[in-house]
Amino acid sequence: MTDAVETRSLRRTFPARAGRGGGEIVALGGVDLSIPSGSVRGLLGPNGAGKTTLCKILSTVLLPSSGTASVLGHDVRHETLAVKRSIGVVFGGDRGLYGRLTPRQNLQLWGALYDLHGRALSRRVDELLERVGLSGRARDRVDGFSRGMKQRLHLARGLISDPRVLILDEPTSGMDPVAVRDFRGLIGELTAEGRTLLLTTHDMAEAEAVCDEVTLIDNGVLLATDTPARLAARLSTLERVEADGVADDVLAGLSALSGVSKAHRETGGRVVVHTTTPAATSEVLALLVSAGVTALRTVRPSLEEVYLHVIGDRGMLVSP
Amino acid sequence: MRLFRDAFRFQAALTLRSPDTVHVLVTAPLYTVVFMAISRHAHRTDLAAYAVLAPVLMSLWSLALLTAGDLISRERSRGTLEAMVATPASFPVVVLARITAVTTISTVSFVESWLVAWWPFGVVVRVEHPLTLLWCLVLSALAMAGTASAMSALYVLLPTARTLQNSFTYPFYLLGGILVPVSYLPEWLRPLSRLVFLSWSSDLLRSALSPAPVVDELPRLAAIAVLGAAGCAVGGLMITRILRRVRSTGTLART
Repeated sequence: MTDAVETRSLRRTFPARAGRGGGEIVALGGVDLSIPSGSVRGLLGPNGAGKTTLCKILSTVLLPSSGTASVLGHDVRHETLAVKRSIGVVFGGDRGLYGRLTPRQNLQLWGALYDLHGRALSRRVDELLERVGLSGRARDRVDGFSRGMKQRLHLARGLISDPRVLILDEPTSGMDPVAVRDFRGLIGELTAEGRTLLLTTHDMAEAEAVCDEVTLIDNGVLLATDTPARLAARLSTLERVEADGVADDVLAGLSALSGVSKAHRETGGRVVVHTTTPAATSEVLALLVSAGVTALRTVRPSLEEVYLHVIGDRGMLVSP
Repeated sequence: MRLFRDAFRFQAALTLRSPDTVHVLVTAPLYTVVFMAISRHAHRTDLAAYAVLAPVLMSLWSLALLTAGDLISRERSRGTLEAMVATPASFPVVVLARITAVTTISTVSFVESWLVAWWPFGVVVRVEHPLTLLWCLVLSALAMAGTASAMSALYVLLPTARTLQNSFTYPFYLLGGILVPVSYLPEWLRPLSRLVFLSWSSDLLRSALSPAPVVDELPRLAAIAVLGAAGCAVGGLMITRILRRVRSTGTLART
């Protein structure tokens, strides 16, 4: 399988503003990334991690300081037009649309910007409005739309040029659960058509549900890339054991075991034991079984736990 | 050309849904009232053509500059500027088409000014050469859009370019012979004035309202077209160069 997106030693710096000691801020520090054609890659990272910088470079609105980036074999620095023709960008949130116009008028502009005109443009706009479920509201003003409807229009806009590579920046932000389910179905359709998707998100459940692989990024450095399941398996040390009907003295015994980082009882009475080594998990299971506990299970860490473990829980702090 | 047409159509639709964009349709008649009142007070009703044309040209020029600037800053705040630049379309053509749409719609202000001269003041300004007037208005609208597109390039680079924009209004009203004919300007200033397309526009528009035959109509129209095209070329070049620069500095979306 060839790579639709490839970066080699991709570096982007910005001059530090006055008062921050001069020098430079490293937004991307030598990123090597390969996204196979037809796959969905999730890009997870906290605010200021470098996700947006990477997306901007791939969409040609920002030049790299050094290194290379290519989309479908076209270099973003030297073959800008070819990259622009093969990529679609979808933003999240309320911005990025002309609220006083209809979705049809919005899409007609973006289609024209991708060299679609006349009947071909009208046909394409109709198809996309149908596909994202907005054909019934095609004549209404966009500023009366819900956030979820705006997101669907964003998606239609990103697809107007029928791009082979699609960058989705927080695409389900503000969508209701039904719309999110439909969106995930649409992602499946897009990949079945052979498109490559790069999805930046903070929603771990979404990344687990739709991504073939996930890349964790922080401070401009890629920390890990793997399938959501393998990424979680890599951190099997984060495994935890959940059990019902555990007596207080048994809970105390579990807490005393080496390799148990935390053991506590939840509101419903269930006991959750966090272990730091596979051996500790075995010991916990043995102790529970010997105490006559039969309702128990081991749980692999979710992507969210992996994310918090690798990136670190820094609360609201933004990278410098 | 199809991109120009579609961007023009889009901006026309957006403008009709955003009437504040064409505020000149309100200010031009007010200027006409002021100028007509002055000419009447001075017993110079022969200057009615000036009183009708000056507000139209002033309004169109200030609107072209304002639109050029607002277009960039509004796209920035709307979050569409980067997405637009990320498309394969020529950004200078899109900018030019959109400014042209606004200035074209705003030529309606000529009708308003004419009506203001007629109704409260009872002065009927006769259009003696309607075709000349029409061609001149159309070419002037295009030339304004072309020249103003250079202004929009500055807005990509400098979010605070509004101050500069304001300083491009009254000097151009004078150099363009809008308020007083170019022949009234100091002799040393006249060659400079002839480099401003507005001076050709204002002269020719006044000729279109005068009963005398229009002399050198085609060369004068050509002068407007050539100077407008030159402004357009400078604007296009500046936008292209500045876009290249902000791709490097990463300041395209910075407000």
